[in-house]
Amino acid sequence: MGKRFGKNVWAVLFLALCVGGISGVAAAAEQPIVIGAPLATAFLYGWDAERGIKLAVEEINAAGGVNVGGKKRPFAVEVIDTRDLEPGVPVSEALLGVEKLILEKKADFIVGGPVRSEAALAAMDLLSKYKKVSILTTGVLTPAYHKKVEGNYDKYKYCFRITSHVGVMANEFITFLGDIKKGHGFNKVYIMVQDVEHARKGGEFMKKMLGDKGWEVVDMKVYPTGTTDFSVGLRDAAQKKADILFLWMDMPESSILLKQWSTTKMKSLPVGFVNAAEQPGFWNATEGKGEYLIVNLVNGGNAPANITPWTMKFAKAYQKRWGLEPEGYGTSSSYMAVYTLKEAIEKAGTIDSDAVIIALENSNLMGVYGKISFDKKSHQVIPSLDPAQGAVTSIVQWQKGKRVQVFPPMTAEGKVLLPPWMK
Amino acid sequence: MEILLFGIINSVTLSLTALGFTLVYSISRLPNFAHGALYVTSGYIVWLCVNTLGMNYFAGIAVGIAATAIIGALMYRLIIQRIRGMQISEIIATYAIGLAIIEGLRWGGLRGSTFTLPSFLAGSMKIGGIAVDNQRLFVLGSGVVVFAALGLFVKYTKTGLALKAIAQDERAAMMLGIDSDRKALVSFALGSGLSAFAAVLILPLGSIVVETGYNVLIYSIAISIIGGLGSWGGAVVASFLIGFAQILTEVFLSTQYTMVISLLAIIFTLLIKPSGIFGKQKELDDRV
Amino acid sequence: MSDGRARKERIDRGIKVRSDGLYAVSSLREMLYLSGPRILLIAGLLLLPLLLDPHPYWRRVINILCVYALLAIAFDFLANCVGLVCLGGSMFIGLGGYFAAVFNVHLHLSVYLSIPAAALAGAVASTLLILPCLSLRGVYFAIVTLMYPLLFTRVIEAFDLLGGSNGITGLDSFPGSNIENYSILLTLLAVLFGLRRLLNEDIGLVMHAVKDNDQSVRASGIDVVRIKTLAVFIASFIGCLGGAYLAHVYMWAGLSLFALDFSIIPIAAVTIGGGGILFGAVVGCLILVPLSEFLRFFGTFRIVLYCTALTAFIVFKSEGLMPYCARKYQQFERWAGA
Repeated sequence: MGKRFGKNVWAVLFLALCVGGISGVAAAAEQPIVIGAPLATAFLYGWDAERGIKLAVEEINAAGGVNVGGKKRPFAVEVIDTRDLEPGVPVSEALLGVEKLILEKKADFIVGGPVRSEAALAAMDLLSKYKKVSILTTGVLTPAYHKKVEGNYDKYKYCFRITSHVGVMANEFITFLGDIKKGHGFNKVYIMVQDVEHARKGGEFMKKMLGDKGWEVVDMKVYPTGTTDFSVGLRDAAQKKADILFLWMDMPESSILLKQWSTTKMKSLPVGFVNAAEQPGFWNATEGKGEYLIVNLVNGGNAPANITPWTMKFAKAYQKRWGLEPEGYGTSSSYMAVYTLKEAIEKAGTIDSDAVIIALENSNLMGVYGKISFDKKSHQVIPSLDPAQGAVTSIVQWQKGKRVQVFPPMTAEGKVLLPPWMK
Repeated sequence: MEILLFGIINSVTLSLTALGFTLVYSISRLPNFAHGALYVTSGYIVWLCVNTLGMNYFAGIAVGIAATAIIGALMYRLIIQRIRGMQISEIIATYAIGLAIIEGLRWGGLRGSTFTLPSFLAGSMKIGGIAVDNQRLFVLGSGVVVFAALGLFVKYTKTGLALKAIAQDERAAMMLGIDSDRKALVSFALGSGLSAFAAVLILPLGSIVVETGYNVLIYSIAISIIGGLGSWGGAVVASFLIGFAQILTEVFLSTQYTMVISLLAIIFTLLIKPSGIFGKQKELDDRV
Repeated sequence: MSDGRARKERIDRGIKVRSDGLYAVSSLREMLYLSGPRILLIAGLLLLPLLLDPHPYWRRVINILCVYALLAIAFDFLANCVGLVCLGGSMFIGLGGYFAAVFNVHLHLSVYLSIPAAALAGAVASTLLILPCLSLRGVYFAIVTLMYPLLFTRVIEAFDLLGGSNGITGLDSFPGSNIENYSILLTLLAVLFGLRRLLNEDIGLVMHAVKDNDQSVRASGIDVVRIKTLAVFIASFIGCLGGAYLAHVYMWAGLSLFALDFSIIPIAAVTIGGGGILFGAVVGCLILVPLSEFLRFFGTFRIVLYCTALTAFIVFKSEGLMPYCARKYQQFERWAGA
């Protein structure tokens, strides 16, 4: 009898501790402005954003913090791993993560994710329900996001996106390829994309636009995620004498494709969106076989470049803090999102959502990748090929182990080189 | 011509990856759902040996295969031996272990696309006018050698014959004094070693990511079911079927459907002839 | 007869024996002993949302917990009462969720109609899909159900159906978090007790017989396939109900409704909580889901943790927690003999 009594007392104490712990955690985060970051931290497009956000927060706090109507308050970051890029994980995990940030960690703003398009689209309803301003900075390349905001402004006005999307990227590619066409006389394109929505849309868009611009699109192949053998497609492209191999791949197997391309010395130049090639470690990983690949880094500043004076400052600070060059494509955008948010809060003088929304719509700062401002109706960052006019991208080519900026022309640091076996 | 060439390469690659799984099932009636996890682990161990410990590549490979075989043996001895015979528990336990290993690797740092193994043979050659990289041809060659070796092992060595005996009729084998538990341990270690062997051959073609573990498992299950759970010959035939089906789909239909093919093939097989092509299970046992 | 060695024996507790008879009513203590666990279950579950009122995040967790519990009950029912191991619970969630989305967004049915309708439609669809393999035994059912969710995701992605990778958004939510919590809690309780009632009827006995020895059932002239079909229908109805509810809670239905998590966690819950008694599934979820939330900080490491726990339970304590607790509640052990 005494033993059972003892056990009961322990059980009650344990429960009390749990409840106390939960409320304690909830009560602690009052003074700083809390930025909630729902990200898939085990993946490149999660940790690139995490590092960008943390770097920005550290810099701002070191400089004194954010001026909210006369009072200086620091930023605090709460990162939650949503695991939404893992194949076997339901999006409800990501949504629960966002809710945890809002309800329990008392996040004032959401920056970063969710990273997967599905999850981000689903989270829009949540954000509107809780009236929290969010700035999307990584993942989510689908145009459906800002179209949804435009379609129902009053409900979704809380959602902003500071990173680029498929529509803009495709146009950048068209312009870039047009320049190459003039320079080298190329004519035939072979498109290979992954079977996910943003890649398919990108590929279809490119197919149509390239055709309009006088290119001959010899074929377009869609590969399901997890394909390990691209032999048939590559052979087909070689037979049809394609000059450009246009890729849009978000899966690690893209390195198989590139290794095959290089080993079989295909006479085509690979251009596109390849997530494996966005990391500095790509060079070693492919034993240099990835050279000459041209990659779109979505937002400028994700590789060292000279777009604006801030770009190299950011790249150096990033390298000092994290030990390697910026990578992925959500890094510079996450960094800028925090600064843009700071500016909006200071302009509005409060952290009230509606006031900050108006301030964000009127944003105008010269950031790491050009002028940052949002379209008032769709809350999408305004793109441009000129850093003074809007947000600029980075199209880089891997040359001798480095990512060299080759587009837009106003910010280019090097010319496009052809592999020796193509000359 | 290219269909033939790529088809053969694809099929042999597939059968190599499924070999470990088929072996273990055919001998011990044990579906080893941790197969994919062991595959990825072996690649990671070799990577660690080569990159962190600075070993010679071939020494690293030897260590990787040996280590995976040991992990497999330990897994059997410590965990699975206690639940032998309860098939459902075996499936769940091996799946849980596999999942724990894969997610553990992911948590421990195996993220991103920067983990790769160097290829053995650089360059490519032209066969009938088609450029094929040498590494793939090496995989093809090694696959054939491995099958031949296994065939000889099972026919002529004592252990191999014992394994074959258990696969045919466990009771009779026990009556002849063959220790079923010890042999199951050996078969498990052998199966794990084989998956490691397949991994070191195939992983240099791309990079080491944990998702490969899941994909390998799905393919292994597909091949085993279509070929007949427990039949090596069936597994090889099934992998050729799936391999060629994938290539044919790619060439004539569209690349989009290549993954769906293997899954549809399973459903199809289960509907028509559930014990698979060469299934040795008595049909009565399978039908209600 | 004693061989000089001590052995453990189990004897019913005194209070159990005393409360077994007619006169239990005369003692408050005995009544409490009998009704304690039952009241704890029902009242505990129903009071949970009220207790967690100051923490709205945890109230949301209750919803997810109940969905997992429904899946776990379905798995337990199929595996331990009918002998079919379903490794693909996510198929039910996915089908239920997508049907709910279609009914709600495209056919404009209200929340209260679309959920039952989706459950029914999903159950019919699942049963038809699983029908071909019901005449097989052994490990095939497990593998087929494991493959189906993967097949669905690939097919939806490849053919860009039903919103493709983006899914269907814009489902109606519930009017309030109280209704959200209580509707699912009451459903859970209804399912739990209803299913148990079913298992005690004649049809339940036949199902148990199918698990034990289906050849003898067949020999008795009962169509085994019909029984199995009925069982699959019931289990898939429960699962699809959970899926439809989930889709409405998150106001969206997409590819990841077919996620592996929905297949694994119910299995883990049943293994940890104890199979065959349905309630073990609920207890398993009550342990796993909040634990998973607490460990969210650890990211993917929590999967490693609960897989390890799952394996440990399978190997060392395969009867699960609930039977262990029930036994302790009703009996005590002592060394006897010698």
